[in-house]
Amino acid sequence: MSDRNFFLSPKASKARLREAENARKNRWDIIKSHSHGQVSRRDLIKMGLFTSAGLMLPISGLSPFASSAFADSNIPTGLPPSPLFGVLAFSTPMPRFDVLPRQPVSVLNPVPTAQANTTQQPVDPALGGGTGPIEGRPPGPIWAHQQFTQLPPVIAIQATMEGAKVNNVYNPAVPSLQNSGINPATPIPFRFHPGLPDQNILKDWTYNGTIPPKLMLARYGEPILFRLRNKLPVNQNQNGGFGIHTISTHEHNGHHGAENDGFTGAFFFPNQFYDYHYPIVLAGRNSINTTATDARASGPTDAGGLNKIPGDWHETMSTHWFHDHMFSFTAQNVYKGMAGMFNIYSGLDRGAEDIVDGVNLRLPSGRASVSGKSWGNLDYDVNLMLADKAWDSAGQLAMDIFEFDGFLGDRMTVNLTYKPFMEVERRKYRFRILNGSVSRFFKIALSDGSPMIQIGNDGNLLPNPVVLTKLDEQGIAERYDIVIDFSRYSIGQKVWMVNLAEHQDGRRVSKDLSIAEALSGNSDDPCVGKFLEFRIARNPAQPDISQVPSTLIPNPDLSNIPVARERIFEFNSGANQTTNDPVSSFFGPWGIETDNQGGTLAADFGRISAAPRFGTREVWTLKNGGGGWDHPIHIHFEECQTLARDGSAANVPAWERGRKDVWRLRPGGEVKITLQFRDFGGMFMEHCHNTMHEDNAMLLRWEIDDGGAPFLRPLPTPIPTPQGVNFVAPTDILPTAFD
Amino acid sequence: MNTQVNVKARQRLFSPTFVTLSVAVVVMLALGGPSVQAQTTAAPIVDSSITIATNGTVTDTGTTVNVTGSVTIKCRRVIDTTATTATPLVMLDFDFSQLKGTTGSGKNLRTFVTGDNHATELRPLQASDTIVVTIPYFDSTKDVLSASSFMATANLTFDVSTGKLTNGSLTYGTNVFTSSGVGTFTVN
Repeated sequence: MSDRNFFLSPKASKARLREAENARKNRWDIIKSHSHGQVSRRDLIKMGLFTSAGLMLPISGLSPFASSAFADSNIPTGLPPSPLFGVLAFSTPMPRFDVLPRQPVSVLNPVPTAQANTTQQPVDPALGGGTGPIEGRPPGPIWAHQQFTQLPPVIAIQATMEGAKVNNVYNPAVPSLQNSGINPATPIPFRFHPGLPDQNILKDWTYNGTIPPKLMLARYGEPILFRLRNKLPVNQNQNGGFGIHTISTHEHNGHHGAENDGFTGAFFFPNQFYDYHYPIVLAGRNSINTTATDARASGPTDAGGLNKIPGDWHETMSTHWFHDHMFSFTAQNVYKGMAGMFNIYSGLDRGAEDIVDGVNLRLPSGRASVSGKSWGNLDYDVNLMLADKAWDSAGQLAMDIFEFDGFLGDRMTVNLTYKPFMEVERRKYRFRILNGSVSRFFKIALSDGSPMIQIGNDGNLLPNPVVLTKLDEQGIAERYDIVIDFSRYSIGQKVWMVNLAEHQDGRRVSKDLSIAEALSGNSDDPCVGKFLEFRIARNPAQPDISQVPSTLIPNPDLSNIPVARERIFEFNSGANQTTNDPVSSFFGPWGIETDNQGGTLAADFGRISAAPRFGTREVWTLKNGGGGWDHPIHIHFEECQTLARDGSAANVPAWERGRKDVWRLRPGGEVKITLQFRDFGGMFMEHCHNTMHEDNAMLLRWEIDDGGAPFLRPLPTPIPTPQGVNFVAPTDILPTAFD
Repeated sequence: MNTQVNVKARQRLFSPTFVTLSVAVVVMLALGGPSVQAQTTAAPIVDSSITIATNGTVTDTGTTVNVTGSVTIKCRRVIDTTATTATPLVMLDFDFSQLKGTTGSGKNLRTFVTGDNHATELRPLQASDTIVVTIPYFDSTKDVLSASSFMATANLTFDVSTGKLTNGSLTYGTNVFTSSGVGTFTVN
């Protein structure tokens, strides 16, 4: 392997480890000063600590990649490994997700309103004092919940954002037997492993302040009101050294109005709440199957039947996630723990494998006849959130926010637990795998090279299942739904999920390893190799009647929908910052060029880069402008179809022939996609989901603003303050945005 | 340049004293800094491909399966234009979709297919590379749930000056991980 590794080997000399720890502490002072708002990155560049591209200069005692006084040659220092405190891999069970309670919307106090609730409350002096609105959503008709009367919320899901604490109300929604023996009544301290230290309340910020990560359950035709209360410290300095207390939650990739999308500039402050209205509708509801006669366009009823809804059943989605999207702080906040998953159930994807009605695909999940739940059975339908983490010598979560190429952790976690095991039965399981990392790509195989069946990509069931012995690289935010059949093993056997993607830095995967290479232990990347152990513990109590049909969900037919126009977005480094709004613009080495004009621009959520017309379809080309990186590019709002890779439809692999919302461009590559703009409007985003790239500053705003009142063309930009949201004119409108 | 001294000087900037830091920032801002310029040029991409006629045998639960068919390997060389020391890389795509397996004859003839199977591999560019992959295959009369896997070892040669894939061979064999990749534990 190369001599430029992100983390030092644990076998490195004590002197080198000490040197690396000192460098980490030196950088920590800078990080703290930056996170406390005392210095900007632009200032650091001018101080000579960073290059003009925003990269840390290789200064010994500061940069992890400066030459070491203790090395035999010109070997970089690297970061010190995260200590394990004697903890062994695969020594603790993997907790299933913690399901957020679903309540009737009538429990909400105050009652949710279409427009933001601007009832005034005192504002803490640390936030400027005076008074401000209790809800942080931008006020007025433009940011009112769209179609709130037609799609009134039925279910309330409430959560807080707060610091690490003990979980006393864990609800995995499965029996202990299906949760590797974990007793949900036992309080769960916030640790990455029972043998690792408790996390400090300022280091980890999660939904409800607890682990395991949270899971929302939704079904088509049942709108949800998600009320998130910000209980983070009012003092910005109380952040454990990184992260910020202003937040905005993106339901990735909900087909909702923009006011519920977690727009990066629609953030809110401590002591405020934000009501997100998730209608849970099928795309095309205003133009396809408008009378709701097609049983395939439906959600499950409690009685085991179908609630038929308008829209295109080909747009049915299954596996989402939700995470913070605070402008220029997404990486830090998500790394601190602001991420959960979101399962959507439908007539097709019921979560009840024993309901036979000609619509239900009967994918592995569990039996309604056993659980009494007609939908959403999780016994054999398992959410996995993969994330690499790092911690300091005290075992506290650590991050280096100045690794603009991308930040890598050196410890693999699954559902925020260090290398756990999971007990399984000899039958089929569905796994909904989320890459919840900051910058790391994964490539997953089973340790014995056995086949896995990929059924979904980015939350969308594929047209047909694809059999693979190793999955494609999985970029940050991508979701792969797979089925593994453990009946091929015997009770008492164990097999592992293995990561084959070796990184040297956060730019991209440096090498895809074979299974033998990954298992050899020779890689210097500590996150290569086994990371999740499956223990085949028993036979299932009932025969496995789940299915993986040869046809899942075919793509929507777009052949009769004209292409209104094409746009080109090129993702590059060396961005220019042409605007300077202190809130909406951000300086960073990364940026996006739109339609081959204006150069590569750093992010400004006040700039409009594209404004597709409501009700149209467009074709977008996403180009990787540089050779040295990969970028997982995410487009908000509606799922897209991939038309070509590197100029040819034949280059689109079978597992990408469904709908998607994140594309790895691959080094030197480009992707052509098509997407529609319908049902809702407002301002949305497109960005790299290597969140270090996104924050620094590879993100742009596009908007649908001609869908009729209350929208304006162009839309005014919200600038939140604790005392209320101000609206300002766009800082910039690119020449091709509206033409 | 004595970087240690410089670091110590800079460390003082980031002491907990906010005033010290702020003053330093003001001074530095007054001194000005370089403007941000584009760092990259278009990536020099080189595409190549080869097609190999292959055959071999694998054993699966006591049955010998004859595997034949052509495999096309596409190669794209990419150079990182922003890091002069970075090793060029190749992205390889193995198209195994044309492989077929057979066993028996006459009424007992069984045919196996691999599905629309590709293996994508990102590797550093070097004169020769050996890549071991596993390939799923299943009885063509059954569904993907019945799939097993076998191994393929690719020996590839590259022209490192042009980045082109110039030659290669593929051999097939039984999946050895089926046993070596599985462990045991004591059931409670």
